[in-house]
Amino acid sequence: MPCRRIFPEYSPGMNEFDWNVVWYAVPYLAAGAVVTLELSALGMLFGTTIGAVAGLISLSENRLARGIVRAYVYFVRGTPALVQVFLVYFAMPQFGLELSAFWSGVVALSFNAGGFIAEIVRSGLQSIDAGQTEAAMSIGMTNRQAILFILLPQSLRRITPPLTNEVITLVKSSSLLSVISISELTRSAQAIIAAKFTPFELYAELAVFYLVIISILAKISEYVERRLA
Amino acid sequence: MTEPPLLRIRGLSKVFGDIPVLDRVDLDVTRGEVLMVIGPSGAGKSTLLRCINRIEIPTTGEVVVDGINMAGNQREHRFVEDSPTETARKRQRIGMVFQRFNLFAHLSALDNVAIGPHRVLGVTKVEARKQAAEHLERVRLSDHIVKRPAQLSGGQQQRVAIARALAMGPTLMLFDEPTSALDPELVGEVLRVIRDLARDGMTMLVVTHEMAFARDVGTRLLFMDAGRVVEDRPPRGFFDQPETDRARAFLRRVNSREAETMG
Repeated sequence: MPCRRIFPEYSPGMNEFDWNVVWYAVPYLAAGAVVTLELSALGMLFGTTIGAVAGLISLSENRLARGIVRAYVYFVRGTPALVQVFLVYFAMPQFGLELSAFWSGVVALSFNAGGFIAEIVRSGLQSIDAGQTEAAMSIGMTNRQAILFILLPQSLRRITPPLTNEVITLVKSSSLLSVISISELTRSAQAIIAAKFTPFELYAELAVFYLVIISILAKISEYVERRLA
Repeated sequence: MTEPPLLRIRGLSKVFGDIPVLDRVDLDVTRGEVLMVIGPSGAGKSTLLRCINRIEIPTTGEVVVDGINMAGNQREHRFVEDSPTETARKRQRIGMVFQRFNLFAHLSALDNVAIGPHRVLGVTKVEARKQAAEHLERVRLSDHIVKRPAQLSGGQQQRVAIARALAMGPTLMLFDEPTSALDPELVGEVLRVIRDLARDGMTMLVVTHEMAFARDVGTRLLFMDAGRVVEDRPPRGFFDQPETDRARAFLRRVNSREAETMG
């Protein structure tokens, strides 16, 4: 039993699983879940926006803009999300940007998700047959019109599954924001563990909370994918 | 004085890597001419077409369509190359039909034809669709306007593609092996539409392997080999009495293949 190894004198064994603390924690975790959902929703909104724009730019004819996007994606992919969270939290005040922990968290999540979504959008657009672009060119469409009216509508359905993955990753990554004192789901559980010394019960309960949130997201995505079919 | 050519090509070359695909091609096409372009694979036929509307950027040479230089403009004493947007604008009146149709997969037949006038020429959606329906009628597809490309046969798809090009009001039409990807029984319906266009006086370059069609419908025949125009003559003369050894060898191969398939 892992909990026993960590807290031998306080933790109950499996046969003494403390259901009371589980029920006791529900309202606290629910409150944390609301914060997690807020963080995720905002991260999704801004991350998708950043990612869509960056993904479109990576197919544009502007070399400088393409280079900036490439550097951005390189950085996001090449550094741990946890490091990015700390960087945003501690670096932004240096540039005179005093944001609350919550908004620092939103910035970090959006920045991280945006980099991955940019790649998803780019590869989705590039997966469309080159003949589609040639046909668009042949009727006088500009590069921008071809992407907007021909490639993007066709790639939406292909983009949906990897985008869902990214959204799920984003929800789970929001747990990293517990390190910058945001009372989201994971930190709420940790607070109760600190008070009650019941890590096994609380981490199990925490896992169930995340599973429920992510199952709902997966259902929504399935529905969207069917609608785009 | 004679009418200036609708299409004027001078010294057009295209090199892929270090392989020359088009080699200093010169060509003048007058309004209303129907050029059939034939030759062995790798002769540069498709590349010639694709260099005319700059889907492929020529390595060197000049293409002038209806008095407009496709690469840029002469300003004072220097040549200013077009921006991509300007190139797109110059492509508007050159129709192109592809071997693999390349219909927009997410749009109905009607919207495949309407999207160009609507998005590129700025015609209202309602008006663009109305005109699109007329163009589809011209290619005998009035019964299929709401269908998606995947629901149409190859021959129907290719006729939609022709309507899509016509909707832009082209002065010149380029056909890149329009029937090569079709089942044999569907070739006729596409050739018939092209024949109708020729009769209506459309200026066209048609890369084709349909020799009987080239002979009947073409007003000129270009035989290409190794990136060059080897013969440029009226089709009947070419097929009855090719002047060059290369053309004779090509026709012999084509005829023997046809004899084989006929049994």
